[in-house]
Amino acid sequence: MSRIQIDGLTKCFSKVTAVDRVSLDINHGDFLVLLGPSGCGKSTLLRMIAGLIEPSSGRVLLDGRDVTFTPPRERDMAMVFQSYALYPHLTVERNIGFPLRSRRRPRAEIREKVREAAELLELADLLDRRPRQLSGGQRQRVAVGRALVRDPGAFLMDEPLSNLDAKLRTATRGQLRALHHRLGSTIVYVTHDQVEAMTMATRVAVLNAGRLEQVGSPTEVYDRPASAFVADFLGAPPMNLLPVRAESHSGRVRLFAPGIEVALWEAGDFPARDIVMGVRPEHLVTVPTTAESPMFRGRVETVENLGSEEVAQCAVGDATLLVRGPRPLGLRPGEQVAVDAAADRLHMFDQASGHRLRWRAPDVSPSPPASLSPPSSSPPSSPRAVFASRSARPV
Amino acid sequence: MFVTLAAVEAPEVPASYPAARPSAARRVRRALPPFLYLTPGLGCLAVWTYRPLAEAARLSFYSWNLLPSRPKVPVGLDNYADVLQLPQLRSSLWLTVTIIVCLLPFSVVLPTIVALLTQQVRGRANAVYRALVFAPVLVAPVASAAIWEWLLDPRHGGVDRLLGSPVNWLHERGPAQLAVIVITGWHLLGFAVLVVAAGLAGINDDYAAAAQLDGATRRQIIRWITLPLLSPTLVLLALMTVLLSGQLTFPLIDTLTQGGPGDATTNVYYLLWEYGFKSFNAGLAAAAGLVFFLGFGMVAGCLVWLFEKLSFHDN
Repeated sequence: MSRIQIDGLTKCFSKVTAVDRVSLDINHGDFLVLLGPSGCGKSTLLRMIAGLIEPSSGRVLLDGRDVTFTPPRERDMAMVFQSYALYPHLTVERNIGFPLRSRRRPRAEIREKVREAAELLELADLLDRRPRQLSGGQRQRVAVGRALVRDPGAFLMDEPLSNLDAKLRTATRGQLRALHHRLGSTIVYVTHDQVEAMTMATRVAVLNAGRLEQVGSPTEVYDRPASAFVADFLGAPPMNLLPVRAESHSGRVRLFAPGIEVALWEAGDFPARDIVMGVRPEHLVTVPTTAESPMFRGRVETVENLGSEEVAQCAVGDATLLVRGPRPLGLRPGEQVAVDAAADRLHMFDQASGHRLRWRAPDVSPSPPASLSPPSSSPPSSPRAVFASRSARPV
Repeated sequence: MFVTLAAVEAPEVPASYPAARPSAARRVRRALPPFLYLTPGLGCLAVWTYRPLAEAARLSFYSWNLLPSRPKVPVGLDNYADVLQLPQLRSSLWLTVTIIVCLLPFSVVLPTIVALLTQQVRGRANAVYRALVFAPVLVAPVASAAIWEWLLDPRHGGVDRLLGSPVNWLHERGPAQLAVIVITGWHLLGFAVLVVAAGLAGINDDYAAAAQLDGATRRQIIRWITLPLLSPTLVLLALMTVLLSGQLTFPLIDTLTQGGPGDATTNVYYLLWEYGFKSFNAGLAAAAGLVFFLGFGMVAGCLVWLFEKLSFHDN
């Protein structure tokens, strides 16, 4: 087991900054998933941890030891590549035994350890085959076997499931989770697949354009996204993000835009500002169009059938609102629709930076819903209620 | 009662449903274009390669001195018997094998070393290195032979002055053979480096990265990963050396030594040429050509088999 600390790691390729001052503390036994879209720098970050790419600045510490410029073979890490990188001219047995062979371990020991790894991964019958004679799933297991045969301090995995079909991917996810549970090792796992991140990770680090957007448990990242980017990236279909104006109206916080009218907690006077309101499609419920003050009013455009659920795309003012619910949703294209949500399911983000906003009450005004504004003692210097932008970057 | 529902009901089709089949002329017209595109290439191959080959095969059964006015006399297998009894055959064959073996370091070993070393060099410097190594390939063999003749001049030539020795390079047996081999190797090196570099570029970087993380040293990676994966390229270069050594050495031998001193630099190709176009014994030369063609064909077949065996189709 190893603890990996990353301190302000940066990588620039000529004029492009692929990874921008990323700091992370990966604890013993963590299953940390680096999640982000293609080109966000997650693989570059992983390769810097592995030692395959030299960082432009910053440090990598392994169990407190600075390994920033230590060659890969002297770091106690094993890696599973997206391509698996199985040596095509060697048999499965030799592939799995390669890390031991290069460390000049005795033959008997190599054979014994390879056999153990092969049994663990159900590869015992395939030891004499070459990689090209294996199926995708078998190759993936050989790559994992090669990584775990020498019992490394940490596993690095670069999208190891992306070449498998959907069904095999689901099965392999379960196997990797079980393996992590069994070995208790530190795993750093790169993927762009949010399902992999949500199902396997103990912690998720979301990256965007080389920067760290948020680090937290899958639940935290999904339920309290630190930025509009995270909110949009996690969830399928993604969170509805709607530009609204927040202002004080009859002593309450009111968010409005064409087709949107949301009255929230009592607030007193505060300066009006444009913000982005977010709400997940599954947190929306349709209400009768005759309802008194629904949050959203619009028209159903299309309804998608997902089998167990339906997703309705509704035009609300100029914006599009996705509503997701069990089938049948009871909506038909062309219909007028009224939609509501619990106030504590709403998220707010700064329009310019995309950072999450929270409500900072000035004094004794009634406390707004918990998830929207985390409990905070209001600073005495703040005379007026404001939406405070929190840095999306962890401190 | 339960009734099974058909998953997808197929429409009823009458048994004599007419299939819309295009006419024969139309089908021919549609199939023709690929063959038309191939025609020029196939034509050239037939006219310049297969026809001469067939002619040579036919000629090998006749005695003829290349004069159009003289008749071709059929002699059966006599030419083949003569070829096998030629006094210079053994020495020229031996020289051919020696040249091929001595060229292998230039076409396989040195290029591998140079390509592995220049692999570390990145960017523009890499291109400059490769251009410098490749340059000799662009010099016409006869032109370079003329310059080498001047450089190898006894006493006054650049080589002797550099070595400080009075070796008469082109008129002594050993030195003449060495000169032919080294100059051919110098010609070949650049091209071979380029081929090896292309072979190295074709090896997925992930293998080396994985091996590094698996704890392998640079030397272990080269020995256990890079060289085995490069072996098809190296076999291809060996094949080229075997098959092209004749063509590569011929202009040098003809310009520098004319097969001499004595028959020190007469390889089988030069021998064949001497019989055909100096002694005007067309039948004997054709028979020799066919014997060598079959011999080299077998060697090439073995190397191609090895090439196929060593190729790892990774995906």
